[in-house]
Amino acid sequence: MAQLTNNFSEWISQQVDSESSFAFSEAVRSPSLSKLTHGVFPTRKDEEWKYTPIGDLLDTRPGEDTTEVLDLETIDELKQAMPSAHTIVFLNGEYSQEYSDSHTALRDSGLSISPLPQLEGTALKRAEDTILESALTDDNIFQHIALGLSQNGLFIEVNKNTECQTPIHVIYINTARGVTAFASPVNVIRVANNSHLKVVEQYASLGEAAVITVPASYIHLEDGAGLDYYKISVENAATNHICNTSVRVGGSGVFRSHQYLLGSNLTRSNLEVSFTGPGAEAVLRGVYLGDDNQHLDVRTYLDHAQPHCSSNQHFRGILNGHSRGVFNGLVLVREHAQKTDAQQSNKNLLLSRDARVDTKPQLEIFADDVKCAHGATVGELDSNALFYLQSRGINKKDAALMLTRAFAAEVTQEIDIDSLRNYVQDKISTSLDEIVIPSV
Amino acid sequence: MLSIKNLQVSVEEKPILKGLNLEVKPGEIHAIMGPNGSGKSTLAHVLSGREGYSVDAGSAQYKGLDLLDMAPEIRAREGMFLAFQYPIEIPGVNNTSFLKKALNEIRKHRGEEELDAIDFLSLIKKQMKLVEMKEELLKRPVNQGFSGGEKKRNEILQMAVLNPTLAILDETDSGLDIDALRIVAGGVNKLRSADNSFVVITHYQRLLDYIVPDFVHVLSNGQIIKSGTKELALELEERGYDWLLEEAESKA
Repeated sequence: MAQLTNNFSEWISQQVDSESSFAFSEAVRSPSLSKLTHGVFPTRKDEEWKYTPIGDLLDTRPGEDTTEVLDLETIDELKQAMPSAHTIVFLNGEYSQEYSDSHTALRDSGLSISPLPQLEGTALKRAEDTILESALTDDNIFQHIALGLSQNGLFIEVNKNTECQTPIHVIYINTARGVTAFASPVNVIRVANNSHLKVVEQYASLGEAAVITVPASYIHLEDGAGLDYYKISVENAATNHICNTSVRVGGSGVFRSHQYLLGSNLTRSNLEVSFTGPGAEAVLRGVYLGDDNQHLDVRTYLDHAQPHCSSNQHFRGILNGHSRGVFNGLVLVREHAQKTDAQQSNKNLLLSRDARVDTKPQLEIFADDVKCAHGATVGELDSNALFYLQSRGINKKDAALMLTRAFAAEVTQEIDIDSLRNYVQDKISTSLDEIVIPSV
Repeated sequence: MLSIKNLQVSVEEKPILKGLNLEVKPGEIHAIMGPNGSGKSTLAHVLSGREGYSVDAGSAQYKGLDLLDMAPEIRAREGMFLAFQYPIEIPGVNNTSFLKKALNEIRKHRGEEELDAIDFLSLIKKQMKLVEMKEELLKRPVNQGFSGGEKKRNEILQMAVLNPTLAILDETDSGLDIDALRIVAGGVNKLRSADNSFVVITHYQRLLDYIVPDFVHVLSNGQIIKSGTKELALELEERGYDWLLEEAESKA
C-alpha cells in the first residue's frame, strides 16, 4: 500500500485541515478523518483492486472552483430521462435551489428530501445513524473521503405505509472547464415499513475538464419496504468516479438496483447489499459500456445473512477499443440462511481485440438448503447472427450495431420507467453509433 | 437470372463443388436434389455469400452481375434471398423491427421510399396470412423460442415481405410435419410469378409434391449428374439415388 504522497492525497490532507462546513458531525467524521490522515490508497497489490489502477486519479489535483453558469436547456436535456419526476440538481457538488424542485412541497406526502447542510436535530441523527449502522466489506478510503469531507448530499426519508408515486431524480452535474473539479456527495435513503420509492441518480459533466467524483450512498429499507434505485453515469472521458453504496434490506423488503455506466475515464462502483430480515429480495442489474482507454469496474457484494431471501444479479459489459471491464461479484450465503435463492450472471461482449474484461463471480455458501447459480461469459459477436442479418440486406456494421444494442437491451428492457428506459437505450445506441467496430 | 458455370468450391482445402453448371431463367423453379454430402448446402451458402468457402474456379452470374464478388447484403438488396436450413435465433432483436430494417435497406437500394411503421405493419400482416403465422411471433426476438415449423414459416414470411427475384430454399422441408410443409409450400406458390425464380434444395421428393418444379437436377459429389423434369424426382422417390450414382460412375 502506498502512503499519501501524491497530488490527490496532498489535496485531501489540506481539506482535512480546512475550515469548510462539512455535512456531518464528529461522530461520523472522526473515524473517517483518522483514516484519511493515516490513509493509504489501494494499489493493485490489494485483492479488491487488483484489476483497477487508480494512478490517473491520484495524479490529479482538484483546483479552484470555476463554475460556469448553467443554462436551462442543459438541465432540460438531462431531465428528459425523467420528465415527470421530482428533480434535485447538484452543481459541482453543491445543492442548487435554483434548478431543483422545491422539496418542502413534498413533506405532506410522507416523503421528505433534505439537502445535508439543512439537516439538524433528530433528522441529522437519523441520517448519521443510518451511516453508522452500515459497514462496507470493501472499506476503501474513498468512502472515508466522502464521509469525512462531504459538504453536500441528500437525506431522503419515507414514512411508513407510503406509496411514493413520483420518482426522485437527482442530477449531479459538473461544469468545470480547465481545472479538475471534485465532488463527494453523500446520499442517505431511509424507507420505512411497507413504503415504496424510486430514485434515479444521474451523473453528468458539461465541461471537458477532469472531475473526481466520490459519492457514497447509504440505504436502509425497513421491513416490507421497496426501493428502485437507478444510477446513470454519462460523465466525460476525463472523469474518475469511485462510488460506494451500502444497502440494508429488512424482512420482505425489495431492493432493485440498475447501474448504467456509460461514461468516464475510470469508474469503480462498489455496491454492497445485506439482508437484515427474512424473505427479502434484491435485484441487481447493470450495463457497462467502454471505449478507448476507459476502465469500468463493477463490484457487488451480496450478504445473504437471513433465510428465505432471494437475489438476482445480471450485469453485461460491452467493451471496445482498449477499454477494460471488471466484474467482481461475491454472494455470501451464511450458515443459517436456508432457502436462499441466489442467481448471478455476468456476460461480456468484446468488440475489439484490444479490449479486455476480468470477471470474477464468486459464491460462498455455508447453508445446505439453498439454490444458487452463477456464471460468466466473455465473447464476440455471433458470426452466424451477423451473416443472417447481412443475408437480409443489412450491412455488416449495422448488423453489428443491432446485435450489440440487443445485447444491452437484454438488461435495459427491465427498466420499468418508460422515459428512463428510452433515455438509457438511446444513450447506448448513440455511443455505439460512434464506435467503429473494426474487427467484426 | 442465374448462370453458374464450372463452379469449383472448397472448404478448408477440401473440394466440395467440382465444376457445377446451372442455368435458371426468370419464372422457373429448379429443384436440386441429392444425397447427403453431395454439396447441396455448400451451393446455397456460396450463392448467399457466407464466409468460409473458397471459390477455386468458375463463375456465378446473377442478373448479369458477378455474384461471387458481391457482399451478402448487396446480394440481398439486388433481390436474392436464402431461406436458411437452420434459421438463426437472435436474442434481443425484435422480429418486426428487424424485418422492417431489412425491407427498407432493400427499398433504399432500389431507389424506393422507405416504408413507415404503419405501412410496414399492414404489409406484414397481409403476408403473415400466407404462412398462417401467429401475430405474437412478430413481437418476439427473431426466431427465439420459435418451434422448428415456426422458424421455417418465419423464413417464408421474410421472403414474402422482401419479395426477392431469386429465392434459394435450403432444405426448407427438413424437420417439417406435413401440415407445416403444406403451409410453407403454399406460401412459395403464391409468390410464384413470371419474373421470380426459385432454387429449391431438398433431400426428399415430398416437398416437390407441393412446389412443382420445372426442372430437377441431381447433385452428387459436387457435380450435377442428371437433369430432367419433375418426373425425375418421382423416379428418384421410387428408385433412390443409387442407380444414378452407379450410372454416373460407369460413365466416368
